[in-house]
Amino acid sequence: MEVFERIELRRFVGRELLLWLWFESEVFEGTLSTKQHGSFGLWLEGRLVLSAGQEVTTIKGTIPGQHREAKEALLRGKMPDLASLHLAWADHDATLTLKAETLAIAGLKLPRKEPDAAPTGEGTTVPVRRAPRRRAAPAEAAAELAAHEANEELYERMRVTREIEEILEALYRDFLALRLGPAWSELVIPALEAWTLGDDVDADDYGTARTKALAAAGPKGATRR
Amino acid sequence: MPALRGSLTYSRFFIDTSEGATAQKAAVSDDFREKYMRAIRLRAMRPLEAEDEDLERSGWCKVAEPFEIELHYDDVFCNEYVALGFRTDRWQIPGPILKARVREAEAAYLEKKAREKLGRKERAELKESVARKLRKQSAPSTRMVDLVWSMNDGIVRFFSHSDKAAGNMTELFHRTFGLRLVAEAPYTLASRLGLTKAQESAWQEIEISVLAKEAS
Repeated sequence: MEVFERIELRRFVGRELLLWLWFESEVFEGTLSTKQHGSFGLWLEGRLVLSAGQEVTTIKGTIPGQHREAKEALLRGKMPDLASLHLAWADHDATLTLKAETLAIAGLKLPRKEPDAAPTGEGTTVPVRRAPRRRAAPAEAAAELAAHEANEELYERMRVTREIEEILEALYRDFLALRLGPAWSELVIPALEAWTLGDDVDADDYGTARTKALAAAGPKGATRR
Repeated sequence: MPALRGSLTYSRFFIDTSEGATAQKAAVSDDFREKYMRAIRLRAMRPLEAEDEDLERSGWCKVAEPFEIELHYDDVFCNEYVALGFRTDRWQIPGPILKARVREAEAAYLEKKAREKLGRKERAELKESVARKLRKQSAPSTRMVDLVWSMNDGIVRFFSHSDKAAGNMTELFHRTFGLRLVAEAPYTLASRLGLTKAQESAWQEIEISVLAKEAS
């Protein structure tokens, strides 16, 4: 199989990734974890689009995955096209929409930036003001300061973006370890089918079996709990 | 779609691994930033003029500033990041207006020459002349998409989901830096994260999972 075919004929893997994230976020009640990142919150929030060919179902709401139409769409053979996710890690919250077939990100709202603060020594804090490095004409100094702040802003935004991408990549790595091994058909598919039909999935049993499967898949695999 | 403020909408591209060694080599050489800066300036945006033959043109500008096309080192390099704007100018003369003006010009030409028909070449020349006049009376549309290249991990974030813009950007990126970009996809990311031999062969065999239990 040529590289081109491995890319183009396997874009559906992105749809299965979204399905798996949706499933796991419900089974584990919005708390996932990876070996690299420990526990963090992840759940569907805002928008979920499922499709099969020309038929598209769009669900909007606080928890779109729990709408009746969502599971019904799955039972009609539709798979997620895109899903809006809420990610909560450390003290941060971010929301984004992940597109299945390109893994492109839309509407990523980064965590609100805490204002820089320095202690005053009296138990209060004041924002840090950055002065130009040298005395310059006011216009020149203002431009220099603006450029410096723009650079800092860019650096910080890219740093946090990368942090979010690393969490998504760690989840994708776990997904691949399951998807490309025997655990997919033996463990994940039966659990997915039960969940789609509205049957109970025992989170502890599934979690234990999943941890074993990831450990068996290799050192890159993560554990849950 | 801005990189510097608001929410972020972007596609990721990776430096082609088959050329990764070239990228690394360039990155460790002492003067790579100067070389890149020269290459970027060489392909900075040249705004479209009415007399130009091109109907569309792309080039680099300052990130978030489509009309700043004189690029300085500090505009482009921010630690390990290269930040640029990908600007595209395009003439967009509405078809019905062009058609009507061409018709008027043809009628005036025929009257002046006291003839009844135009040759194919004459018609094409008249159309071009009318289009140029219309271009002089208007301004090209300008679009800009931010781009941030993280040189440490070889990721380019392009702040748009447009396939056409991405295609033009990857071409200009290659002409500028000599590096090919590969668009993110489930396979390219899997491959970059590292698939074992068994996983690589499993990838080639996998089929779509079917959960449907009800007839539609």
